[in-house]
Amino acid sequence: MKRYDCLRAIAPHFGEELVVTNLGAVRHEWQALRPHHGNYHLQNLGLTSSMALGLALALPRRRVVAFDGDGSLLLNLGSLATIANRHPKNLIHIVFDNECYESSRGAPTATAGQADLAAVARGCGFANVITVKTLVEFEQGFLRALKSKDLYFILAKVEAGVGDVPAAALDSQENKYLFVRYIEKSENVKILSSTLSRAGEPRAK
Amino acid sequence: MKREVAAEIVDSLKDAGVDFVATLTEANLHDLVMALGADKAIHHVPVTREEEGIGICAGAYLGGKKPAMVMMNAGFLLSTNALATVCIHPGIPVLMLIGHSGGVGEENAGHATVGALTEPVLQAMHIVYEKVGRFEDIRPTIRDSQMLARSSRRPTAIVLNKQALR
Repeated sequence: MKRYDCLRAIAPHFGEELVVTNLGAVRHEWQALRPHHGNYHLQNLGLTSSMALGLALALPRRRVVAFDGDGSLLLNLGSLATIANRHPKNLIHIVFDNECYESSRGAPTATAGQADLAAVARGCGFANVITVKTLVEFEQGFLRALKSKDLYFILAKVEAGVGDVPAAALDSQENKYLFVRYIEKSENVKILSSTLSRAGEPRAK
Repeated sequence: MKREVAAEIVDSLKDAGVDFVATLTEANLHDLVMALGADKAIHHVPVTREEEGIGICAGAYLGGKKPAMVMMNAGFLLSTNALATVCIHPGIPVLMLIGHSGGVGEENAGHATVGALTEPVLQAMHIVYEKVGRFEDIRPTIRDSQMLARSSRRPTAIVLNKQALR
């Protein structure tokens, strides 16, 4: 099972869900499969789960899906304890575990050894934790999470490998503005402040 | 920190529009963290590591919240990569309230190096900051630092010295 095939299997099920992607190839794969202003591509290794938590807590009526990786989550294991304690029912935390630092030439991560991230999530207090190893299991697990309206942790054991997609044509600032404008419009909130011109004020004498 | 100082900070944060605060506690911040947890108007998220809090605050901002992060300077130093990549690079504001261990008035020799590094690192990151100790400076500084964070779309910091923390 490859990550790109997993993403391709679930992309048709997405409507207005918000997505946070991990650093690395997953951002390009997801942007190619589901180009949408509700995708936020994080340029940081480790904080995907935390960004998704902040978003899920801020918008409890919107479904938030995190596409995390094993190398990233290993940098931020404590976030699992925080997420489980906050228990946002609108968050689905998916970890594509390829057991290596794929974007850094493939050295093994701790999950290539003894570490089991699903066991860590369970130990931190996640009630809904599933480990999947086939495409059918992955799609079914995702659909179960989507229908459940509860916090889910899905560990997808994948082979290393990158989908044949072009580089996503979005830089970080552009991605932020598009995402924020989309949230402002779809949630009817004002996030970016703007300053009125003073040209209409009376002139000083 | 005295309870009236903690109460003044919480009230000033609300006055400035802050509605979401991530915290990592410490002896000097205990009363502030407890007061934030007890306040119904603020969404309080205690975190396990400070850079996690920066990520949570950034996500909350994208979702329309007005976030702040409360931590000690050791946690700020730990958060530098998170601030650079998650906040400064894309342009996401977070108001930081940073307790200054090892600054003026410090009695513990062990905090001296972290204390001395705090302001140079803030300056190196081009993060605008104000140092606060006097009670009457708390409210206007929180208001103005939050104003700048929002208008500049950048993190700003308030460094709480020993006068505020005692």
